[in-house]
Amino acid sequence: MSNLGIEQFPDYQVPGVSHADFSPYESNGGSIVAIAGEDFVVIAADTRLSSGYNIHTRKQSKLFPLSNQTVLASTGCWCDTLSLTGLMKLRMQNYEHTHLKTMTTDAVAQMLSIIMYNRRFFPYYVSNILAGIDKDGKGVVFSYDPIGHCERATYRAGGTAGALLQPVLDNQIGYKNMNLHGEDAPEVTKERAVAVASDTFISAAERDIYTGDSVLINIITKDGIETQELQLRQD
Amino acid sequence: MFLTRSEYDRGVNTFSPEGRLFQVEYAIEAIKLGSTAIGICTNEGVVLAVEKRITSPLMVPSSVEKIVEVDKHIGCATSGLMADARTLIERARVECQNHWFVYNERMSIESCAQAVSTLAIQFGDSGDSDGAAAMSRPFGVAILFAGVENKKPQLWHMDPSGTFVRHSAKAIGSGSEGAQQNLQDTFTAEMSLNEAIDLCLNTLKQVMEEKLSSTNVEVMTMTAEKEYYMFSKQEVEEHISNLA
Repeated sequence: MSNLGIEQFPDYQVPGVSHADFSPYESNGGSIVAIAGEDFVVIAADTRLSSGYNIHTRKQSKLFPLSNQTVLASTGCWCDTLSLTGLMKLRMQNYEHTHLKTMTTDAVAQMLSIIMYNRRFFPYYVSNILAGIDKDGKGVVFSYDPIGHCERATYRAGGTAGALLQPVLDNQIGYKNMNLHGEDAPEVTKERAVAVASDTFISAAERDIYTGDSVLINIITKDGIETQELQLRQD
Repeated sequence: MFLTRSEYDRGVNTFSPEGRLFQVEYAIEAIKLGSTAIGICTNEGVVLAVEKRITSPLMVPSSVEKIVEVDKHIGCATSGLMADARTLIERARVECQNHWFVYNERMSIESCAQAVSTLAIQFGDSGDSDGAAAMSRPFGVAILFAGVENKKPQLWHMDPSGTFVRHSAKAIGSGSEGAQQNLQDTFTAEMSLNEAIDLCLNTLKQVMEEKLSSTNVEVMTMTAEKEYYMFSKQEVEEHISNLA
């Protein structure tokens, strides 16, 4: 063939050929943190929504209150977050109508896992943390991977700065590798949980370009959800 | 009787001019041919007791199962066509397990009754849309659901029309009229579980044609502590011998 002047290229090297890729996912950034205490749980998320070097908005809440005892924080592909949280709200409304009661945090946690796993081979591209008060009145955090694996924890960080924040929580909340001189790790108070959560975001905003603008903090107790806001750097 | 009902009792989807569904009413009549089943709900727990018709000495009594476990916290007593009852119980079990799988919690007794009721009223469906086969007639079964929810006992009754109602005490089957009257006269909200067991057995004794014995009666209790608990032959015998 070479004597005809037609060179044999592997398909992917042919000059001028363009391939249409199917890339339905996008990372819109954002970070989330949740810390559970004995009878409360603090869950926080930044409010920046971006795409590459562009910022879509500086004031998008990533916290979704599902009941007055449960809040879902979700980041990743924003359209998947919207689709998933919409479905969660619909399923919870449905449950309330068929079973005549509000879903407990534990029930929501299990249902979310199953909803995510239902999309095993075309997953929701999201990082989820669910926080709430469980059936015994204790604060609880559930974290998820994108295909629905669910783990019960007492503190967790997720989103684009998740890997940056988690070690800080391990140290400050979990007291990992700390010399406590034989004493038990002190129980986390509401004030300290809010302070640590705020500090992690201030730190993350320094290094992660997808985290910034402001943090919304939800404090869940048996009496309901209280909201606080903290400004972060906006660059 | 049959003259006035004319042709309106043929289809399950046709109301008579007086506004009745005869096939459903006939199904409710069919229950009255079934063996008697009694349920009593006390503060301590629920007791279910049923009569087993052992029609031949060659029959193996243990193979006649009228009280079954649906989940750890829900038990059922049935009266009417046993084959139909199996279908409804199968649905109840599947729904309870599915609820546990999706929500990681126990299904409420009312939701379980609701789920079974949904199947029970599908006799009118044509069945070509979602692949489910069409049913030809209503289920000829009445069910008593005994369960515990948040440590509190509950008793529910469902009939072939799919109607389900919560009761303190309820009798179904052939002896139900006499039995229900007896329950109404004797039942008190304060009675203990043991008194309720005795009331169940005494009532069965009165309405049964055969002599009450440990082979022709099944007794089950549903309590917060022991949940579904089927009485052994010896335990039933003890209770029968203690009857006045």
